[in-house]
Amino acid sequence: MMKKRILAIIFTIFLTSIFSTSLPVLAADESVENIKSKGTLVVGTSADFPPYEFHATIDGKDNIVGMDISIAEKIAEDLGVELEVQDIGFDSLLPALEVGKVDIIVAGMSATNERRESVDFSDVYYIGGQNIVVRPSDNEIYTSKGDLNAKKIGVQTGSIQESLAKDQMPESSIMSLSKITDLILALKTNKIEAIIMEKPSAMAYVANDKDLATFDGGFILEEDEQGAAVAVKKGSSNLVEAINQSISTINENNLTEDYLKEAGQLLKESQGPQEQTKTMFNYWNYFAKGTGYTILISVVSVFFGSILGIILSLMRMSERKIVRIPAIAYVEFVRGTPMMIQIMFIYFAVGYLINIPALASGIIAVSLNSGAYICEIIRSGLNSVDKGQTEAARSLGMSKQTAMRYIIFPQALKNIWPALGNEFITVIKESSIVSIIGVSDLIFQTKIVTSLSYRGIAPLAVTMVIYFMLTFSLTKLLNYYERKMNHDQI
Amino acid sequence: MIKFKHLKKSFGKKEVLIDISGEIKKNEVVVIIGPSGSGKSTLLRCLNLLEVPTSGEIIFEQTVLTQLTENKVNKLREKMGMVFQSFNLFPNLSVIENLKIAPIKVVGLDEKEAQKQAEKLLEQVGLSDKEHSFPASLSGGQQQRVAIARALAMNPKVMLFDEPTSALDPEMVGEVLKVIQDLTETGMTMVIVTHEMGFAKEVADRVIFMDAGYIVEEGTPEQLFECPQHQRTKNFLAKVL
Repeated sequence: MMKKRILAIIFTIFLTSIFSTSLPVLAADESVENIKSKGTLVVGTSADFPPYEFHATIDGKDNIVGMDISIAEKIAEDLGVELEVQDIGFDSLLPALEVGKVDIIVAGMSATNERRESVDFSDVYYIGGQNIVVRPSDNEIYTSKGDLNAKKIGVQTGSIQESLAKDQMPESSIMSLSKITDLILALKTNKIEAIIMEKPSAMAYVANDKDLATFDGGFILEEDEQGAAVAVKKGSSNLVEAINQSISTINENNLTEDYLKEAGQLLKESQGPQEQTKTMFNYWNYFAKGTGYTILISVVSVFFGSILGIILSLMRMSERKIVRIPAIAYVEFVRGTPMMIQIMFIYFAVGYLINIPALASGIIAVSLNSGAYICEIIRSGLNSVDKGQTEAARSLGMSKQTAMRYIIFPQALKNIWPALGNEFITVIKESSIVSIIGVSDLIFQTKIVTSLSYRGIAPLAVTMVIYFMLTFSLTKLLNYYERKMNHDQI
Repeated sequence: MIKFKHLKKSFGKKEVLIDISGEIKKNEVVVIIGPSGSGKSTLLRCLNLLEVPTSGEIIFEQTVLTQLTENKVNKLREKMGMVFQSFNLFPNLSVIENLKIAPIKVVGLDEKEAQKQAEKLLEQVGLSDKEHSFPASLSGGQQQRVAIARALAMNPKVMLFDEPTSALDPEMVGEVLKVIQDLTETGMTMVIVTHEMGFAKEVADRVIFMDAGYIVEEGTPEQLFECPQHQRTKNFLAKVL
């Protein structure tokens, strides 16, 4: 998990270094005008952070709600535009803001000096504090952060709590996960001894879950680490000013208190006592939606991946170096880099130049990735067909293309069918990585269900069963076609 | 009909054909014999450019093959049927489809005509009952007869046979040779590489003896088998007869 954060940082540095050098800060600051002309304010958040922001079912529909969302609504209202909320993992928020996928971040984010290097912040709109969450049975043993010395502590990846833990609890070992719900699951299953969390979040979780307890962590906090602020793209001072005006209205009228009350109410309503009796079946629409997206991504990616794979394999077998070399380079490069980076690269880096929606970015990245693997499978299949077949076809006057299409390729396809099937199954499973850019596939929806139901294991079990049903029925289907193709072997 | 002048072919440093010249006349049946590695298969494969000669010229009906573009070579290959040692039937296609695919995809025959022609050819090689079988279910001899029919489906002007019986069990050699022999009676021009000396004597108008990349001598079967001129020919014949 440490790795993920380092990658995110490297990636951010990489992006800023590329684009900040090539695109010097524009003289005119048109941040506010741009949002007004679009008519929407796109807010990035990580919706697993009650009461700041979380998923709640209102009138049977899934919504992202919470104090931050109310504040974002107020800002949008003051700007006279519509609000659009995008749920992205916490550590992907900063890159998303930098490349313009979102206009602002409202995610209970503290304005640290480290973050100020890459983005600008508004005034602080809420000052919480840092709490420690433990299991109730340990409430007697652990009463301050000193008691947790040399113990295992959970924090959210890329969060302020992570740096607090590192600086002020150096003896403890740290487990960092990107979702709070995963941390809570880790705590309940004794993987960690405590979680460091924003005070309001801690209060919200404890109020809704009798298996959790919390106390003030007693951390020494710097001025800039104390409060939550809105993040905007660097150099958008007009936007900061507009947001600060909204915040000062909010502070003057003490609106945050109302917002928090409302959020607490929503939390209770959607996760109140009757929630405890709910089964996973009540969340079927989340699973169905996620399964739909997973199937969509896999099918479309396998389709385009196969086309790309065929083209690449033909290029690789070309006699001309100028055609062959790029294909080899492509395959080697794609196979030699992690798919997660490829997805983030397409979404953030390419998205900087052309705005590609998350779903399309995911599909493009998975197709490009799968194409490289399918290329190698097809190439091995074409090589496996006896040379005599080509000679026989050519001696009948067939051109290279005709021989390939009617004689060689059908035989190769039969030989590589099991390997292709394997690749398709891999795509179904691996495509789950697209959830890091906020595509609502099965994994993404599972995390929502986890945060809605406050249960960790049941959603995982359901998801596992769904994945297995998908891959197993695909296996059956592929076997059927394999038998059909085998008629020529007596 | 086919002339070849000063053909040379080397694979890497290995010279397989060293300065070969000769001619195949219309309606002539030429049998090429010689020890393994003498270059006889390579010569045959050069005739329809399955192997491109390193140097030299091949002239087929006034066209210099070695100077042609890819498309024209494809066009000329249609006129030269080839039968391989290992049959090389298309295992993914049924017998009748093996016979129909090239006429349909290359010549552009319609399905009906191709079917009619294929049925006729299967009858000619005595395999009408195997129309819908797949190659893997046939014996070696049956497969080779289908391969011959497949080559004939393109209505070639020349048939090239590359050791057509070498991969067969002994009891199946006869049925394949019978089909080839029947073909000689239609006046088809043929070049046959074979180790079946008895068969060579029987069908050949002319026999070519090759050794170590050269044509050592050629003549009628009587001349070559009864009174060979060269010591190498005598040595070879002494071993195989």
